[in-house]
Amino acid sequence: MKVLQKTLMLATIGGSLFATAASAEQVSLTWQMWTGSDADTKGWQHLADMVTAKYPDIKVTLTTTGWVDYWTRLPVLAASGQLADIVSMQSLRMPNFYSLLEPLNDRIAADKFDVGAFTPSIIGGMSIDKQLYGLPYDVGPWVVYYNQDAFEAAGIALPKPGWTLAEFTDAAKKLTKDGKYGFGITPQNYSVLASAWGDKYVNDARELDLTNPGAITAAETVIGFAAKDKIAPLVPSSADAGTVIQGRFYSGNVAMYVDGPWSIIGMKDKVKFKVGSTTLPRGERELTAVTAGSGFGIATTSKNKDAAWKAIQVLTSPEALQYLAEQGRALPARTASQSSWYKVAAKDITNGGEAIDYSLAHSVPYVITNNWAAVENLFNQYFPPAFAGSADAKQTMDAIQSLAQQ
Amino acid sequence: MRQLSPWRNPPGMEEDMSESAVAELPLQPVQPRRFLKPETQTAMVFLLPSFLGFMIFMALPIVASFALSFTNWQLISTPSFVGFQNYIKLFTVDPSFYTILGNTLFFAVEYLAVNIIVSLTLAVWISSLKHGKAIFRVIFFLPTFTPTIAASVVWLLIFTPDGLADSVIRSLGLGLPNFLLSSSWAMQAVVIVTLWANVGYNVVMFNAALDLVPKHYLEAAMIDGAGPWRRFWRIRLPLISPTVFFATVMTAITSLQVFDEIFAMTRGGPGSATATLGFAIYQKGFTNFQMGYASALAWVMFVMIMALTILQFRMQRKWVHYDE
Repeated sequence: MKVLQKTLMLATIGGSLFATAASAEQVSLTWQMWTGSDADTKGWQHLADMVTAKYPDIKVTLTTTGWVDYWTRLPVLAASGQLADIVSMQSLRMPNFYSLLEPLNDRIAADKFDVGAFTPSIIGGMSIDKQLYGLPYDVGPWVVYYNQDAFEAAGIALPKPGWTLAEFTDAAKKLTKDGKYGFGITPQNYSVLASAWGDKYVNDARELDLTNPGAITAAETVIGFAAKDKIAPLVPSSADAGTVIQGRFYSGNVAMYVDGPWSIIGMKDKVKFKVGSTTLPRGERELTAVTAGSGFGIATTSKNKDAAWKAIQVLTSPEALQYLAEQGRALPARTASQSSWYKVAAKDITNGGEAIDYSLAHSVPYVITNNWAAVENLFNQYFPPAFAGSADAKQTMDAIQSLAQQ
Repeated sequence: MRQLSPWRNPPGMEEDMSESAVAELPLQPVQPRRFLKPETQTAMVFLLPSFLGFMIFMALPIVASFALSFTNWQLISTPSFVGFQNYIKLFTVDPSFYTILGNTLFFAVEYLAVNIIVSLTLAVWISSLKHGKAIFRVIFFLPTFTPTIAASVVWLLIFTPDGLADSVIRSLGLGLPNFLLSSSWAMQAVVIVTLWANVGYNVVMFNAALDLVPKHYLEAAMIDGAGPWRRFWRIRLPLISPTVFFATVMTAITSLQVFDEIFAMTRGGPGSATATLGFAIYQKGFTNFQMGYASALAWVMFVMIMALTILQFRMQRKWVHYDE
């Protein structure tokens, strides 16, 4: 009897061991992501755990880097064959790095994955030549943030989404007084504003085209804010024109500036006035607001592409985006999840939701060339002297156009 | 009997060797011939880590960058061999290269001259003090502890339009434009910041050299009626000239490589007024992903620095005095 019992016991143990071995076809995935804080990292880790919760056989190991370092490391990791399975990618950098990522159209078609649930402009931003290279988790149109107290003190009606360039300039002029400026502009705002006005600075062949009449007219307007109308302070051609202008807005020295919804979280604790938000001013045509966002792609070098495809679907699932929205981390790329973000992040911003809604309804992908980082660098170098009045729009655009070709 | 190889025959020993000693000699080779002496071996072991470090982190990248300068490499693709194309493009096509070269030389010459004059003046002044020499040495040396990037960011805020520098210029009625917005003045802002950050090294070095000038030379000259100016030109300066030479060479090399201040304060702007070779290498390599082209630039910079350093070594015969 005892022998039988022991045999049975051994058989059970053996069987269970065998069973464990059978279900242990664990797939281990790596995921490289940027992060700004511990809270941020915890959020991403939560998403990684969501993958394992849905697919117990997939484990995602998260590695994080700071935002700036991430983009220096990415090409270095790629060059040394050490890319993670899941690569996080920002839409603005997609033209530089899409060759590292697996095209997704076939998988989307095979699984009948619903791309239509995402805001179209960010799907465009994550695509190159109609081929999608990553599933997006957030989307953000650039909008204008304004100092509501300054508007009220100057007796100006609060701007409504869809306002015109004339209305914008008029308000900025009235707000420029006592050493304070109506608008804070950076050289990098050029392409965002030119897009909003429907002026093309990249031709249909995706080549830089800064010297066409529309691109130059847009440059004249942008440069004119500082050089002619004097409604914007001068900025040096430093690394951080954006941070300088943001700082001036926070301190109340600039009444309006251009930024994305991703900045709202950081803004609340830093300002002592009521913040409002509206769309970018439109030109004579309808507003065409550009958006940027980020998502996750599969490295071409990954050995577990099928598992990675499953994982990035979880990372961009309604539940995951709902979680990120509730954390105030990101305006979800899925249209249906966006209202939960408005309730949390944009609730203290006057017209915060409306400005984003209007912009998303009028959104277009941000058209850039594949050497955009170099082009932005040239904007940074050549716009400040024009702002200061020592070069005109045409000279500035000619210089940037010729240098960007090198 | 005397067919001994010379290395086994220390000079002076030959005459003293007795026959018996010579007879015993064939026994000596029992001791194995060592490739290296024991103390040399020990030294090698201790040197190995830094040698390996040098090979992996210095020699290898230098060789690699030379090889890369003949390729077109976008960093995320495989490099393709293009021969001398990068160098040809550099010298014949790129409209910005000569501007960059000019900016680099302009900065190096101005910064070098100002640095040596200012640091020498400060060192002479400090050495003339009766009290507080140490304090002033520390004060001028302090900025060299500050990370250049951090210092440059603070200076950026000082020079920013309507910033502190502008209000000082206005209140003094100097009528100068904002440095960072003016193509002709931006480089001066870089010179000022670089000087502030680095002048302390040379001050401390010159100060130490001046303190070593024998007092009796100066006293003798004083008795002969030489004034302070003459004593400086005729005695102190010639006696510290080896230090001045060393400082000049080192400062010239670092000024040709200037990067941090430009990266943080001007990003090569306004226009391309402050774009130097060091900055251009970074920009081409890590912003534009033109690694091959950036490597070619780096080698042009290397050759330039090497040539200038050789020139300085040649010229030292004319003005450097080594007092034995």
